[in-house]
Amino acid sequence: MGYAEFKAPKGLIKVEVELAGDQILRILISGDFFMYPEDALERFERALIGSRVDRKNLMERVKNFFESTGARTPMVEPEHWVEAILRAAGG
Amino acid sequence: MRLANEWRLLPMRIDDASLSMAIDETLLKLNSEGKSPNTVRFWRWLPSTVSIGCFQSAELEVDFDAARRHGIDVVRRITGGGAVFHDHEGELTYSVVCGQECMPDDIIESYKLICGGLIGGFRLLGLQAEFKPINDVQVDGKKISGSAQTRRWGSVLQHGTVLVDPDVRLMFELLKVSPEKISDKFISSVYERVTTVVLELGRKPGFDDVRGAMRDGFADALGVKLVEGDLTQEELKLAGMLKSKYASDEWLNKR
Repeated sequence: MGYAEFKAPKGLIKVEVELAGDQILRILISGDFFMYPEDALERFERALIGSRVDRKNLMERVKNFFESTGARTPMVEPEHWVEAILRAAGG
Repeated sequence: MRLANEWRLLPMRIDDASLSMAIDETLLKLNSEGKSPNTVRFWRWLPSTVSIGCFQSAELEVDFDAARRHGIDVVRRITGGGAVFHDHEGELTYSVVCGQECMPDDIIESYKLICGGLIGGFRLLGLQAEFKPINDVQVDGKKISGSAQTRRWGSVLQHGTVLVDPDVRLMFELLKVSPEKISDKFISSVYERVTTVVLELGRKPGFDDVRGAMRDGFADALGVKLVEGDLTQEELKLAGMLKSKYASDEWLNKR
């Protein structure tokens, strides 16, 4: 079980992650950011399950998620989510 | 019959956290169904309460022992953003609810529009304030108001604080402040980044005076006429039903 916090330009992202090998088994994201619509966060977490924990892979998943759902997170960019997850995973 | 540019202004209310949150959700829901008019309201929290953003972990953000010791409530909002200490004696809260069509689609622009009402209100109180994206209003680079917004079902709810004279020492006892967040801002003291109406004016205006200024500020910024009106029976009924969600441990500990 890994945990990390990462400060995006607007919002502190807190990630708790459990890995199975190099893949995400469970992930819980919290923090003081904004996300529209709000129920997108649970879908975002689900979309990350099974992802390999390397920067390239995660970036692709994160970008795909926001492009396909249209969810918006003002002043938090894909690289900020990726950085927070990588830190939590200890990589 | 209300004209298109007439919005409802509700009377000042003092409620507990769960009812206050339930009223805001009610206004948003019924506005989206065409059953509630666009509305501005001002209110205070009794007892004083820590509200957390809808994505925050209660356990990570709030010192529950301190809250219990001081008789402070804790509630999860339906809006994002951070944890806020709502001091009954030191803070005025506002809510604005309207159809999405009254707001810019751009999220930051819509915060800017509504926060423009607060800035107008502060001006009437004698303070020069400015918008700090995403969701803050500052005086001299120090936060004096923070807001949070959600958009659901085709309507917008934005609520936020006017820091009149909050107990800042108690605030830091209640909130677990992340060391990373503090160091990031290169500050040693909270008073270097937060201020209050009392600190800026050197006197404490009454809540009615602050409310009056903010009311006029909103009417001007939104370009609407605010007409006094009460909550309807339908609104009170739905708020009564939604209240139990906000009072539940399940909702509080959602994350």
